[in-house]
Amino acid sequence: MNFINLLLQYWQPIVEILILWFVIYHIMLFFVGTRANNVLKGIIVLVLAFLLIQVFKLDILDWLLTKLLGISVIALLIIFHPEIRQGLARLGQRHLFGPNLHEEDLDHMLKEIVTATENLSKIKLGALIAIEKNDSLTGYIESGVAIDSRVSSDLIEAIFTPNNPLHDGALIVQQGRIAAAGCLFPLAVNQELSRIFGTRHRAALGLSEESDALIIIVSEERSDISLVYKGKLYKDLGRDEILTKIKEILKSKERNG
Amino acid sequence: MVKQKVGLAYRVAHFFTYHPWLKILSLLLSVIVWFYAKGEINRFSN
Repeated sequence: MNFINLLLQYWQPIVEILILWFVIYHIMLFFVGTRANNVLKGIIVLVLAFLLIQVFKLDILDWLLTKLLGISVIALLIIFHPEIRQGLARLGQRHLFGPNLHEEDLDHMLKEIVTATENLSKIKLGALIAIEKNDSLTGYIESGVAIDSRVSSDLIEAIFTPNNPLHDGALIVQQGRIAAAGCLFPLAVNQELSRIFGTRHRAALGLSEESDALIIIVSEERSDISLVYKGKLYKDLGRDEILTKIKEILKSKERNG
Repeated sequence: MVKQKVGLAYRVAHFFTYHPWLKILSLLLSVIVWFYAKGEINRFSN
């Protein structure tokens, strides 16, 4: 009974703190794994320092830090405007009730994709395949040619065969079906990306910076298969490694955070 | 394709296992921010 009374008495602060928690957690979650991660850690240290200064009433440091925080907000907006833009875009693209595939359908789809990528790498043909997870890729699908077909290794190989009008862009798999091919992705802005990676890898990383899609790349030059997810590149993977990694990523229900 | 339901138990387990430290840190920060804002509001209203 006391607990209920306490809850009724303080429900407003509890709700406010819960909302703040939700917002702060999602901002931090967005920055994990990006170049802004270290900056976020710095901000947390500054906030804790600010708190200690307030507690111990160190007025000069308080004045200095207040001025510094005021300026740093503007500086952060300028430095991280691409990340902020991506974050807002991601907020708008999020599927709240996106369907999930059955285990057998998922297995079939992945086997077809991996078989196609293996065959393409054997004959040194490049490919770029994006699998939609929670964030919608509809905007990118519209940049290519709509296909709407069951996933089949033969069809994927045919699409990426040179002289095919669609072979130059990317193929997008949405809700277990090949949605479109010849799609264009944004190129990664990451300056540290090794020069040995071509436009295909940059496009894959570019898309992974703007969405939670899983991207498979078959390199024309090195004929290896790589995987890109949320800005991370998993290079030179074998058939089993790819299957395990893709399943692991697709099955993690990260939208519930 | 057929829809697959995500169970409540999975969601609860996922809540505790997915980035637990981030959740603790963000809760700590939200409490600090709330008390700071409360202090500032009281300072200006008095």
